[in-house]
Amino acid sequence: MIKKHAQRIYLALIFILLYAPILTLIALSFNSSKTRAKWGGFTLDWYVSLFQNEDIMNALYTTLIIALLSAVISTILGTMAALGMQGMKKKYRAIFASISNIPMLNAEIVTGISLMLLFITLHMTLGFKTILLSHITFNVPYVILSVTPKLKQTSKSTYEAALDLGASPTYAFFKVTLPDIMPGVLSGFMMAFTMSLDDFIITHFTKGPGIDTLSTKIYTEVRKGIKPEMYALSTLLFVTVLLLLILINTSPQKDELPAKKKTKKRRVGAFLLRRALPAAIVLLFIGGGFYYGSQNASNSEKKVVVYNWGEYLDPEVLTLFEEETGIQVVYEEFETNEIMYPKVQSGAVTYDVVCPSDYMIQRMIENNLLAEIDFDNIPNVKNIGERYFEKSKEFDPENKYSIPYCWGTVGILYNKTMVDEPIDSWSVLWDPKYKDNILMQDSVRDAFGITLKYLGYSLNSTDLDELTEAKNKLIDQKPLVQAYVIDQVRDKMIGNEAAIGVIYSGEAIYTQKENPDLEYVIPKEGSNIWIDSWVIPANAEHKENAEAFINFLCREDIALMNFEYITYSTPNDAARELIEDESIKDSKIAFPDDEDLENCETFHYLGDEADEIYNDLWNKVKSY
Amino acid sequence: MPNKLIDLINISKSYGTQTVLDELNLYIRENEFLTLLGPSGCGKTTTLRIIGGFESPDCGQVIFDGQDITKLPPNKRQLNTVFQKYALFTHMTIAENIAFGLKIKKKSKKYIEDKIKYALKLVNLDGFENRMADSLSGGQQQRIAIARAIVNEPKVLLLDEPLGALDLKLRQDMQYELIRLKNELGITFIYVTHDQEEALTMSDTIVVMNQGYIQQIGTPEDIYNEPENAFVADFIGESNILSGIMIQDKLVNILGVPFPCVDTGFGTNKPVDVVIRPEDIDLVKPEEGTIQGVVTHLIFKGVHYEMEVLAHNHEWLVHSTDMFPVGTKVGIHVDPFDIQIMNKPLSEDEEAVNVEE
Repeated sequence: MIKKHAQRIYLALIFILLYAPILTLIALSFNSSKTRAKWGGFTLDWYVSLFQNEDIMNALYTTLIIALLSAVISTILGTMAALGMQGMKKKYRAIFASISNIPMLNAEIVTGISLMLLFITLHMTLGFKTILLSHITFNVPYVILSVTPKLKQTSKSTYEAALDLGASPTYAFFKVTLPDIMPGVLSGFMMAFTMSLDDFIITHFTKGPGIDTLSTKIYTEVRKGIKPEMYALSTLLFVTVLLLLILINTSPQKDELPAKKKTKKRRVGAFLLRRALPAAIVLLFIGGGFYYGSQNASNSEKKVVVYNWGEYLDPEVLTLFEEETGIQVVYEEFETNEIMYPKVQSGAVTYDVVCPSDYMIQRMIENNLLAEIDFDNIPNVKNIGERYFEKSKEFDPENKYSIPYCWGTVGILYNKTMVDEPIDSWSVLWDPKYKDNILMQDSVRDAFGITLKYLGYSLNSTDLDELTEAKNKLIDQKPLVQAYVIDQVRDKMIGNEAAIGVIYSGEAIYTQKENPDLEYVIPKEGSNIWIDSWVIPANAEHKENAEAFINFLCREDIALMNFEYITYSTPNDAARELIEDESIKDSKIAFPDDEDLENCETFHYLGDEADEIYNDLWNKVKSY
Repeated sequence: MPNKLIDLINISKSYGTQTVLDELNLYIRENEFLTLLGPSGCGKTTTLRIIGGFESPDCGQVIFDGQDITKLPPNKRQLNTVFQKYALFTHMTIAENIAFGLKIKKKSKKYIEDKIKYALKLVNLDGFENRMADSLSGGQQQRIAIARAIVNEPKVLLLDEPLGALDLKLRQDMQYELIRLKNELGITFIYVTHDQEEALTMSDTIVVMNQGYIQQIGTPEDIYNEPENAFVADFIGESNILSGIMIQDKLVNILGVPFPCVDTGFGTNKPVDVVIRPEDIDLVKPEEGTIQGVVTHLIFKGVHYEMEVLAHNHEWLVHSTDMFPVGTKVGIHVDPFDIQIMNKPLSEDEEAVNVEE
């Protein structure tokens, strides 16, 4: 008895573990309250707004088309491959079978990256075509895997019998062999379809700008903060995949049914259930996809391909730009400069306008990746403050390649209730008074930059003595530090969990709003000033459109919209004048005085060798 | 004698280094029931597949009705095959299975319907038109496979161990069925089996094969009663195969004792193989036998007793309806015409005697 109960409890536990996350998600998709914390009643609103979201519907369309096309093509290829392998000698067959299995065992990220590299090497433009090719590539082995066992079961003699009865090889294949292996082919198709629907990693690496599948779309959406529509979408995706899996797993069983009195009528029933139904589902999806696709199809040749940080532009601005200029914006986002750089460098995608950071712009200029901007096409550049161009000279010495878009500083955020002296120096970070009340940035350049500045050196120092000194200083500081963090500085400072934190100015404005006790200061020794600027890659195909786009962003009202959306400091003086909230307009955090910035430097690209030294020293600090 | 319908000339076939057929020559007459008999791997199935067109010989020719069809694909040959595992099309009904070949030949609907009815009647499965192939028993499936082949009115029906998968009783029934069919259809059957009883029961001609060579061709009686070598003797039925010395015509020395026989022309004092079928040995009183021995084993087999007699250091296998208990002293007597003398093979190659007529 006890044993039986134990077994049941165990089983229940396993299922709870397996399905609790998904059930939570499904439940939340019907929750009318926007926050996850409380239940606000049952609603289908999220599903409604999901279907009204054009971006998501476009992604759905792309996903389904790619899933269907790749499944069809890989089913044909995989079936042919399985047939070919079946006809081989045993020794070769075994070799080929293992070779075709390896891609399935291969880590997806490896497959993704190697496919991307291949496409880049072949000078193929990343986009719909490359996603499709990749999906076909990783789907073929699954089809082979599901067709081969069926082929082994099917005796070769039925094919020979058909030939014997006068059938030509083609006729015999389609009339006899194919129906015999059909369950395997179908489940291979379903499997391929499901895998393609599910795939994120490989798609992520092989997609180009302006194209998203559901999974990559969800990923970008999630980065911006999860919206309840995403719960609804994920629920639908889960249910679809579940449905397909059930269909896959029930189809082959029909051969094991007791064979007695199987009539044609029953076959028809089975056919409807197992073949026509999935086909209908697929058709429905495709139909829907085409519907949304046709609604959004745009055949405009006038376009501009934009490559920007995530969450770094008010979407409304894109709509306004398209309406005013008739130029269609193809918009893609990156997460870090280091992800952006190789994509631009490879030329696999030709971007028209990109928004890298200071040190990366320097690197791109050095590698001849940028085109000179024709300032005559950008009259609104007059709105950009002169001092930002001055600062830009550190990385763009002649102000030929870049136009500042956003900027900020790194400084100290402190809680006035916990610190009773005015702070104006990095030295507080080494003050034992604040032991366990200090939050440091967990990033090598920021940590060393602060320390180098504190010691009176340049934050771009590559002098080994200076760096060693900074390293020792950082080790000294270690016992005082409560935590090395990146994003949590904001939340911890708002929650009064620490007295002093190193933070970016953009975050500081937000934290001050939430907790008025917080104060931001740029230490007198100087700090890091960062500038993200618009540049035009040398291989841009629509340079004039790119300049029109930059000009549009420099317009004061548009710059204001973006400032309010992003909340990072804008270099657009005209836009600043338009800010209605006086406290922000005159904020020392958002717009510090010239003398505060006097000692500030931008980061430079130091080269691989110096990078290695920095990382090495930082590791020593972390592991001390 | 009817004409040669199929003529295999110097057929050789090997897979990799393994030779399956070596310069095989064989012809098949019209209306003949010819059986290729031999152990697995002897090349019998390969021979059949070459006739069917599923394998092509490395060299040699296949002549069918005076035409060279060596390079003709199976779908262009005027013969049909019944496969070992039936090879029915499981996704089709019985009627669709049978109609398969006729539809390809674009026969009229009426013709096809009549043919299906006729064929099902012929194999005693009337009314099975709408059943699915995999809902039938093994024996029924085999009969459908035959029906599917014969509606095409082939000149030759190839059967590749068609009864191999059936149980004993069914197999025996089907043997009679096949003979009946062959007589009704009046066409040539080429039958492959490793079952000597099947071969003896049904065939007009048996071709015994081993290791890619034909060992003997003959009527069932010839093969059984006068095996040309030890392999044939051993493979067909049970036998005592002994080494002997041909003292002179009609006298052979077996285990040191002279036995009168009827064979001549082997020379004098020549080593030979001697075959004596177990049922041809008479057990008599010790003093009446040519040699004497003691019964060592006794098994009741139903129709007869099977005994082993130790005589002159040799275990003699004896089938007899008379029973002699273990330990009984007996004499062994063999009639001269029941002693079969064969040349000893000089080498393994020579085991394959040249059987061209």
